Amino acid sequence: MSKVVGKPLRRVDARAKVTGAAQYAADARVPGAAHGFLVMSTVARGRISRIDVRAAEAAPGVLAVLTHRTMPRLRTPPGEVPYFKSFVPLQDDRIHHAGQPVALVVAGTLEQAQEAATLVEVRYDSERPRAALLDALDEAYVPPDSHDEPSEYTRGDVAAGREQAEVTVDVTYTTVTQHHNPMEPSVTLAVWDGADLTVHESAQGIGFTRSTLAEALDVPPRNVRVLSPYLGGGFGGKGPVWPHTLLTAAAAREVGRPVKLVLSRAHTYSSTGHRAETHQRLALGARRDGRLTFAEHTTTEQVSRTEQSLHAANKATRLLYGIPNLRTVQRAVRLDLPTGSFMRSPEATTSHVLECALDELSCELGVDPVELRLRNDTRVDLVTGEPFGSRYLAECFRRGAELFGWDRRDPEPRSMRDEDGLVGWGVAAAAHTGGGFPGGAARVTLSEDGTALVQSGTQDIGTGTYTVMTQVSADGLGVPTDAVRFELGDTRFPGAPLSAGSATVPCTVPGVFAACATARDTVVGMAVRDPESPLHGRDPGRITVRDGRLFVTGDPGRYDTYRAVVRRHGEPVVVNSPPQDSFSGYSTGAVFAEVCVHPRLGTVRVRRVTGVFDPGTVLNHRTARSQAIGGAIWNIGFTLTEHTLIDAHAGRVVNPNLSGYLVPVNADVPRVEVEFIDKPDPTSPALNARGFGETPSTGVTAALANAVYHATGRRIRELPLTPDKLL
Amino acid sequence: MKLFDYARAGRPEEAVRMVAARTTGTFVAGGTDLLNLMKDGAQTHDLVVDVSRLPLTGIEESGGRLRIGAMATMADVALHPVVRRRLPVMSQALLQSASPQIRNMASIGGNLLQRTRCGYFRSPGFACNKREPGSGCAALEGRNRGHAVLGGSDHCIAVHPSDLAVALRALDATVHTLGPDGPRSIGIAGFHRAPGTTPHRENALRHGELVTAVEVPLPAPGVRSRYLKVRDRASFEFALVSAAAVVRMDGRTVREVALAFGGVAPLPWRSAEAEAALRGRALTDTTIGEAGEALVGRARPRGENAFKVELVRRALRDVLDRLGRQR
Repeated sequence: MSKVVGKPLRRVDARAKVTGAAQYAADARVPGAAHGFLVMSTVARGRISRIDVRAAEAAPGVLAVLTHRTMPRLRTPPGEVPYFKSFVPLQDDRIHHAGQPVALVVAGTLEQAQEAATLVEVRYDSERPRAALLDALDEAYVPPDSHDEPSEYTRGDVAAGREQAEVTVDVTYTTVTQHHNPMEPSVTLAVWDGADLTVHESAQGIGFTRSTLAEALDVPPRNVRVLSPYLGGGFGGKGPVWPHTLLTAAAAREVGRPVKLVLSRAHTYSSTGHRAETHQRLALGARRDGRLTFAEHTTTEQVSRTEQSLHAANKATRLLYGIPNLRTVQRAVRLDLPTGSFMRSPEATTSHVLECALDELSCELGVDPVELRLRNDTRVDLVTGEPFGSRYLAECFRRGAELFGWDRRDPEPRSMRDEDGLVGWGVAAAAHTGGGFPGGAARVTLSEDGTALVQSGTQDIGTGTYTVMTQVSADGLGVPTDAVRFELGDTRFPGAPLSAGSATVPCTVPGVFAACATARDTVVGMAVRDPESPLHGRDPGRITVRDGRLFVTGDPGRYDTYRAVVRRHGEPVVVNSPPQDSFSGYSTGAVFAEVCVHPRLGTVRVRRVTGVFDPGTVLNHRTARSQAIGGAIWNIGFTLTEHTLIDAHAGRVVNPNLSGYLVPVNADVPRVEVEFIDKPDPTSPALNARGFGETPSTGVTAALANAVYHATGRRIRELPLTPDKLL
Repeated sequence: MKLFDYARAGRPEEAVRMVAARTTGTFVAGGTDLLNLMKDGAQTHDLVVDVSRLPLTGIEESGGRLRIGAMATMADVALHPVVRRRLPVMSQALLQSASPQIRNMASIGGNLLQRTRCGYFRSPGFACNKREPGSGCAALEGRNRGHAVLGGSDHCIAVHPSDLAVALRALDATVHTLGPDGPRSIGIAGFHRAPGTTPHRENALRHGELVTAVEVPLPAPGVRSRYLKVRDRASFEFALVSAAAVVRMDGRTVREVALAFGGVAPLPWRSAEAEAALRGRALTDTTIGEAGEALVGRARPRGENAFKVELVRRALRDVLDRLGRQR
């Protein structure tokens, strides 16, 4: 039946994006919109003792300078999701972290707002903050479970597993604070019309934005419309709802004008979460043959003073291998920093350590690291005891090894030199859970011209949702892709979940496909009941729909068309489909990397990356491949350069910009070779596809670190792997 | 960013007059650094005088010297045939700087005057003697992995970010200026200043004084030069350390040598001690090692930047090895 799904269809939004026609949140043309700019706390802990806004208010063009004294009272949205904070700024004089808003300036132009923001004088009664995780490890505690992830988990008998182990590694790794840094910083453009609020938002979850705004502003959700047709990246930073969105909407109501607020790059370093610093200890034991007998993984993660949700679940340790005896503990340390959040494959933070420790174990055992992983493969999710829907991790390793030429590797460290330096080859598994959110719904409108408009309140964070949903719709309806227009990013459309957690495919594809299939069946029913149709009286169960034509299976010469049926109907056919069952899956892969390390200067260059992945059925090879390449690039940054520097005395970020926070540039990115197993997951209701977005942003980190070890013989257990650590 | 006046000068004299008349006036050429500094609140100016269209873009060779107009872009100079052929250290330093887009905008004069990348300097609210004299230096006990191990003071350890300035320091360039009192020439050795107790004063320029040209003596035949830059990513990043070497060999013996270093000091760092360890001696592992020892003899690492003491020695060894092998 499938015709278009699986094809490498070009992005349907490509032309709009490259020509600038795509209207991002900040591009929305709203007459009379004023501009907001935040003033941020420069201290991390204390109280505002004095705030003088007179000079700012007197500055040209200023409409309002709202502080904790003058900002309208807002309700704090409850719970840890979707609003990740436990407080709303500008409601009292308490400072919980540096970069917390202490005033919101609204002015006629952006430049006026920025200038006035510099004129707000704030004095603080500040206390000395604590901001370095490693200085406070003795304060670690086990918080309540976060996001349905167990803070403590045990299976089997860890003590017995230790006894059985013939070889054990017990290692400590650290990862650093990192920020999402999407190209487009977060944007809120709030427009009130009486009691109705429209918000143009760069959001990964418009439904969450709507419910949170309604709660904070005390208005019925039906009065709030959120639009987010395009995102310039999100990487998790735009998944939760953050204070600036609430403050902007409240300010717009206060000044009686639309207000647009674009976070400055610097402000994004304290406004939209981060990947929190971690300290991780992992003990792994195995028999001589490489079979793991136990693991014990304790992760300690920075949390804030006001929140304690954890975002670096050690899921890979629980799910990826058949570890019979296992204990995982997630600990927290409160620091005077903002809360962390999910970032760019949150499971990468802990799977990095698992995959590096396995490499260490393979060296201790003298077992090839690919072989070690194959020997510990599992077809059963040992947390639930249920088999995985499908699992081709071993195939990924075998195919990847073949593509990469792994059999030519000399396992001896420092053995593969060439004229440019020390060459290292490393390998690791990629893995991420995907999905599990409530399923999304969709609406189909069939027009008299034979085209279909398909709408769902999902988002496209750049992964290709517009394109893939167009394919899914075309197949569901039996029409060519150019007869489909897919729209998203509007809370007036049927609801769909967050575009995060690799959930868009597993949670929204079923609803979109079902709506289209229902629309197809509706039109088939209309045709067979219609005396004017060539198909009148036929059994609807025997009708095939293809390329917009309806015909009895096996007799394509005698057909009706969508266009004709809808025309005879006299008005568009509209079908709303309820939310469908969603799905949670575990997409895995194998990643191989080659690095070259300068023997004298310690610089690491990535020469090539090969990834083979198992996402179930591949819905679009082009967008899936792009996602895998992007994941590899981000992981190069994760491993080699990205590091948010926080001053321990001030609790404040020292490098809040893309000049000081180094993401990879083209010169850092080698050839990335990507292949897919492309076999269906029979348990997936999403056309046998699993969520895949985050999987390729795991694995590469450890493959690179393991390659650096292989090149140099140095095991660096602290990220990032900068030259100073390799001298 | 605060509102400011913008004016375009037709002639250098006019530009100088306009800036000199306003205490917080300044020049802008490519704007690749100044505008960021103003947006970040690290610098405030009530007047910005655009000098980018002044006729100071020429690159001319005469009398064994190359005179480069201050408004020539980094790209123009890096790719100039005389620079590529006779001054490889300078061409390499420029081509390893910034990104192609920035090199197409940024001027040579502005490059010498760019300000440190120290995050404490660029983020108002932190103590910084360079931005706000007398407020202290948060980097001394802070995130100072990128900071100076040579030539700093208890008032400032920020490093000078220019690669070009390091090359020019090794080449003994001269900076030509036009000030309210007329033109003058400043040797590169006296152009940039060590921070001492006044880190906000980074160079010898007076208020309203405009860099008009940089003059570089062309090396004699047989002189070889090279620039090595070590950084955290492959491109578009400032140096962790860098080394500029200009050498004339006689067989295996070093006849003339000039060595300057970047990323290690608040100003482009010329090491007479390292040069003395090599001059008149054979270029060997031993002599290079001694030069490295001499280079870092007075190094004062602080916290996170201790690795630079070792890295800069390795950079010196690497650049000399490659120069020594070159024929």
